[in-house]
Amino acid sequence: MSSELESVISLCRMVHSGKIEPFDVDFDYIMSVIKKHYPEIKDVREFCLDAQALKEVSTVLENQNKWIAHQSTTLYKDPFMLNQQLINMDIGSLADAFLKSWHPIVEMEQMSSKTLSNSLGYWGDLIPLDERWQEPEVEAKDTRYATRNEVHELGIIPAEGFGEIIEKFWRELGDEAGEGGTIDYWKWIGRDTYEETVYRAYVTVFLVSYGYANIDRNPLLEETMITHLEEPRPNPEQSKVSIPVMVDYEEWKYWRKE
Amino acid sequence: MAKRMKTYSTKIKNAVHLLFFQHHRLPGVRGWELKKELGNDWQNVVEVLDKQLQPLDLKVTRVFDEPNIIDPTNAQLSDARYYITMRGTVDQKAAKSIGWRIDDIAGLAVSVAYIISKQGKAPRREIEKILAEKLPGWRAKLNLDKYIQEGYLGEDDQGIVYLDWRSRAEIDQKKLVDLVVSFGRKQLEA
Repeated sequence: MSSELESVISLCRMVHSGKIEPFDVDFDYIMSVIKKHYPEIKDVREFCLDAQALKEVSTVLENQNKWIAHQSTTLYKDPFMLNQQLINMDIGSLADAFLKSWHPIVEMEQMSSKTLSNSLGYWGDLIPLDERWQEPEVEAKDTRYATRNEVHELGIIPAEGFGEIIEKFWRELGDEAGEGGTIDYWKWIGRDTYEETVYRAYVTVFLVSYGYANIDRNPLLEETMITHLEEPRPNPEQSKVSIPVMVDYEEWKYWRKE
Repeated sequence: MAKRMKTYSTKIKNAVHLLFFQHHRLPGVRGWELKKELGNDWQNVVEVLDKQLQPLDLKVTRVFDEPNIIDPTNAQLSDARYYITMRGTVDQKAAKSIGWRIDDIAGLAVSVAYIISKQGKAPRREIEKILAEKLPGWRAKLNLDKYIQEGYLGEDDQGIVYLDWRSRAEIDQKKLVDLVVSFGRKQLEA
């Protein structure tokens, strides 16, 4: 059901973006597809898909209306004929036609009191050249060895191995979503600090790539879900699907507010 | 009466300052900006200025956000953008002197006429294809980017190209289409 309705949506969107003409669409066929699937709707997702298809059909009608309005204007010329003319005309004739219909804008650029005061401010804050071009002072220092604990404290090497981190996250996902269960992406990665949230999003990427979890995105409901896999399936032969998920600061703040 | 005339000439001077000098990132000013500066009779002031600019081969051009507005409302007039443009046109020699190559102009003519034939928007690939009939392939892409950068064309994130503010302000679209369509006929008649 969904694939047929998705094709209808995609076809209607092609009309809206100008890839096909509005009257090239078989409207009766589209309506028959929507009518056929309407009684078979089972869940919210299918209902949203049906509503989306209807909305897109209405934009096709709107485009058909615009097309008729455009044809009735003095601007309308047969597109095929116009294109043939464009191909037949030489560069000089095209340039002439353009110049005869071109009335360029006349404008002047000028200094204003605002730009002058901004420039003065910039000049006043400018560090003198001899200070700006100073060579950085480099001090030679003897190298020395660091202990493993020092390196861990500096955060250069994590305290545990990466495999262990992944396993720990996988078990945690099992606890939060339930064995084989599903959890909302933001509920899973979101934490009190932005740094921790980004860290969890980063590790989740590997969790999915290494076959410990699945990620699914529902574009209609704008939901991203993470599913815990009871048995990890690290399978390098399996084709990978990339789903970009924005974890920027604004998004995190919005999630925190909610 | 003399005082009233003086006020009017001051308003025209103010209108000149507003319209000739660039105040924003894009040239031109909105109707409401003119109203704020010139008062309620701003439309009359603009009309008088337009007449005074005639001997200089200049005019005040009004562009609405929505094309095909024939009988504008006051709100639409307030939202419209006003520019000073040339009343007449330029020849190839003058166009070269202001930095335009003839094949760049021809490319812009093709792009604009093609988009008009497609009701104001067309996929970038199609425009590149028709441009490649006149220009080398690499120039087609480069020129299209140039037209977008200069505000003649716009491109959305789906790769659909449309006529942008500068085309609406500077190009007499009907005349361009008429000239292209009547090209062969005029030659035959001659």
